[in-house]
Amino acid sequence: MSDVMVDHTQKLEETAVPNNLEQQDKQDEEQPQQSVQENAEYEDEELHKLLVPDITQLPLIPPSAVEFNFASYFAPDFMKPGNDQYVYRHANGLCVVGLASTHLAFNDKGGITAVDFNVGKSDRSGMKVTGKRKKNAQHFESNTALCKVCTNGDSYIVRCCVKGSLLEVNERLIKQPELLHSSADREGYIAIIMPKPADWLKVKASLLSLEDFKKLRALC
Amino acid sequence: MTPFGHCLIMSSRTFCLSGCVLRILGTEDHIYCHSSFSQSMLCSVLEEVTGFKSEGDFQFCSVCLGVLQLSYRDDKETLVKMESPNDMALVIAELVKKEGHQIDGFSLEVSIPQFILENESSLLSGMKKRYESEPWLQERLLSKCVSVKDVLKFAITKPLETLLNTKASASSFRIRLAYTHKMAFGNSVERNQGFKRRKIGTENGLQNVNDESVVANKDCSDYPTNETIAVTGRSSLKVPIDKVSEPCHLVYLCYRTHIYLCGRYLKYSRNVSQTRWIIDEERMGEASVEEIIGSNILPMYRGDNYKFHAAGREDIDVRMLGSGRPFLLEIQNARQVPSEETVKEIESKINGLENKLVGVKNLQVVGSQGWTLMREGEAEKQKQYCALVWISRPLEDEDVCSISLLNDMQILQKTPIRVLHRRSPLERKKIIHWMKIERIAESSQYFLLHLCTQAGTYIKEFVHGDFGRTQPSIGSILGCRAEILQLDVTDVKMDSF
Repeated sequence: MSDVMVDHTQKLEETAVPNNLEQQDKQDEEQPQQSVQENAEYEDEELHKLLVPDITQLPLIPPSAVEFNFASYFAPDFMKPGNDQYVYRHANGLCVVGLASTHLAFNDKGGITAVDFNVGKSDRSGMKVTGKRKKNAQHFESNTALCKVCTNGDSYIVRCCVKGSLLEVNERLIKQPELLHSSADREGYIAIIMPKPADWLKVKASLLSLEDFKKLRALC
Repeated sequence: MTPFGHCLIMSSRTFCLSGCVLRILGTEDHIYCHSSFSQSMLCSVLEEVTGFKSEGDFQFCSVCLGVLQLSYRDDKETLVKMESPNDMALVIAELVKKEGHQIDGFSLEVSIPQFILENESSLLSGMKKRYESEPWLQERLLSKCVSVKDVLKFAITKPLETLLNTKASASSFRIRLAYTHKMAFGNSVERNQGFKRRKIGTENGLQNVNDESVVANKDCSDYPTNETIAVTGRSSLKVPIDKVSEPCHLVYLCYRTHIYLCGRYLKYSRNVSQTRWIIDEERMGEASVEEIIGSNILPMYRGDNYKFHAAGREDIDVRMLGSGRPFLLEIQNARQVPSEETVKEIESKINGLENKLVGVKNLQVVGSQGWTLMREGEAEKQKQYCALVWISRPLEDEDVCSISLLNDMQILQKTPIRVLHRRSPLERKKIIHWMKIERIAESSQYFLLHLCTQAGTYIKEFVHGDFGRTQPSIGSILGCRAEILQLDVTDVKMDSF
């Protein structure tokens, strides 16, 4: 096992040798191999110094990619009591929607058994959006159904929450509905929606910030 | 007498420099000013060919549109009639001086309206028809038509060399005399549209001719070839060249063609974008690589402008370290060309800037092949990175081992959400060539991940998984949550740079 690791170390050195050093090598005939090697090692060291961070400056638990890049909003009891959903909005305007941890579906014994995207007039998992202009994307209202989440005893309709173009649904949920249990706020996301700026402003007013949502649901 | 020592031959419908007649018959340039044909003979040639005879005062030659009479309209629409080619050389020298160019050579170009070539071929075919049995014509048919461009260039080059104190050669410094003619536009549009079949209507009784002439190249070639003329099937002896009341419009241009500098850049800051980045009038980041490099190089060349091109790019918060990223800087219309030494000085200067945001390596002038070298490298090459990663549980020796065993691993990346608003939703296959974990002392959950990947791989998404849309990811491989805090590019592999 250690042999394999040594190999990779060598690769690192090889690739770090810049071109101009090889030229120097041709000129300096007296100690060719040694000085190239030394120079390469020196450059490596210098580079390495830049790469290693100051551990004292790093937080114990860093913000997650979602916390860092998205603004979190919540829609409590959306269209129905207990239907808590989240909307994570990226700086570029795209919204990732999914089930909040307080959603009723998580209370059911036996857990979530299936996710079905065939609701409303079409199967949401069947659509193909193409191109930079997002051709063929369906335009949905905030109360349009995205999918049905089924448990042993019940089923719940998940809706868009945001008016806009549906870019993508999380097809992995079809085969792996348990993702909703392990991480509903990441791998278990439901869909990605692109709202127009004006539509976002309208819906934003009705959504709660993370703090307000926590207070509402008495979460710590 | 006109500048080249020829008279205008006149007929009621058209005026033509006797010199132009000679040119078309292929008189060699150096005896252009002396003719073995008498003026009167040339007169009668033209009469016969065009059918009329009369007298008048100064007119523009219908064939060369006044170009060889050194007459033209300048950019202020003033009619200019130069006395000699020397005078034109003077105007050019003034322009070069005014623009502040420092030169060690020049390349003289003349561009003329296609119309002139068409006139020449008309006149020649007319003469051939009329005089095809004459021996003097037979001889002449073997030589090529002397082009307007060559006559002008030949006449202006020597005085220009003297005035500019340098030689004419294949140089990046171009002097261009651009002649255009209003009438030419109207006709050439017609001609280009009816390219193969051309109907020539006339006002005073000349026959309509369906002309199959293919005026060879659209891009003003110097000679209508003999083959081309032969194709012309004119049934009429009358040459439909009209009187020209306006000379050409002339613009004098002098410029240096693009100069290319290549090298590799390093970016030490996490707050510097690669290119100038402005949103809603606000700059993103504190500076850009493009501007730092461009603004330090442009003044040394006294150019108009620069364009920055790089082999790929990195995010504003990603440093570019190690060997650096290849780039090409295009300098437009440089007024001077600094020496190799000066170029090395520029490199040191940039590397010595106080704020240490950007560095440059291997800065050198490169020919136009610089482009191909750059493009070659972009898509195919591998990139090496170092990422600062945090995972949600302590790192085990097993993890370090299993990661290092993964070679040429294929991953599938859906278009990252952070760029999905402006890129197509696609699923891209990428290859992670190798990975190596470097532990960080005093930390069990932070570590450095060194990796080498195919060009176009989104590294950040490979670490945190992008909502599971990049499969596999570091998180999925290690079975926990993984986050990326910092990213550095440590090598862009490109041999030719």
